[in-house]
Amino acid sequence: MLVITRKLDQSIIINGNVEVVVTGITRDGVRLGIIAPKEVEVHRREVFEAIAAANRAASAQGAALPRPVRDAAALLRARLPKSDPGSEEK
Amino acid sequence: MDQVDAILSFPAGLIGFPALKAFRLFEPRDSYPLKFLQAVDRKDISFTCVDVQAIKPDYVVPLSDEDARSLALHEPADAMVLALLAIPEDPARMTANLAGPVVVNTRTLQARQIVLNIDQYPLAYLVFPGK
Repeated sequence: MLVITRKLDQSIIINGNVEVVVTGITRDGVRLGIIAPKEVEVHRREVFEAIAAANRAASAQGAALPRPVRDAAALLRARLPKSDPGSEEK
Repeated sequence: MDQVDAILSFPAGLIGFPALKAFRLFEPRDSYPLKFLQAVDRKDISFTCVDVQAIKPDYVVPLSDEDARSLALHEPADAMVLALLAIPEDPARMTANLAGPVVVNTRTLQARQIVLNIDQYPLAYLVFPGK
């Protein structure tokens, strides 16, 4: 890991096209401004990790319609308004 | 996309599964309204999901310009929003991930998982509250 000391309003450039600027330093935290091309995704790590963990948790069920999944579908159908595309024969 | 069966392209992968770029979205006949997203290259990886309309009609995804652009989404009508579901042994306690919805351009079949603020959008929204 590269560790660099930066002061308020100083920045670092990553890969020639991403700039991270220190825009504020307080007792509670450091405020960063990130200037990057639109296609670069920037997320707070804990948010990214939380969604990744939720994805992993949701990935367990196979597509073979195990009982809880069948029951879940039935529960949802029961709550949906009348039109029932599920009965449409195809 | 009534009788859904399509290969969706996820250029950025799903979060936590960056290598998986293609998923088959399909709905077995008896599973309505549930759909499945199955990794094309890893058939053992699949997700149960649902069109958010079916569980929370007032849910709105605040799509950034960049998200819309990357999906080439111009018409709201072209978008389908899916929530991934975690279905436990007791399905009445199933939860939907509303913090990481999957937005699909139904015209181009490009898809992307959007990262929302977890302080405002629940990661585990109880589909049947109070059960």
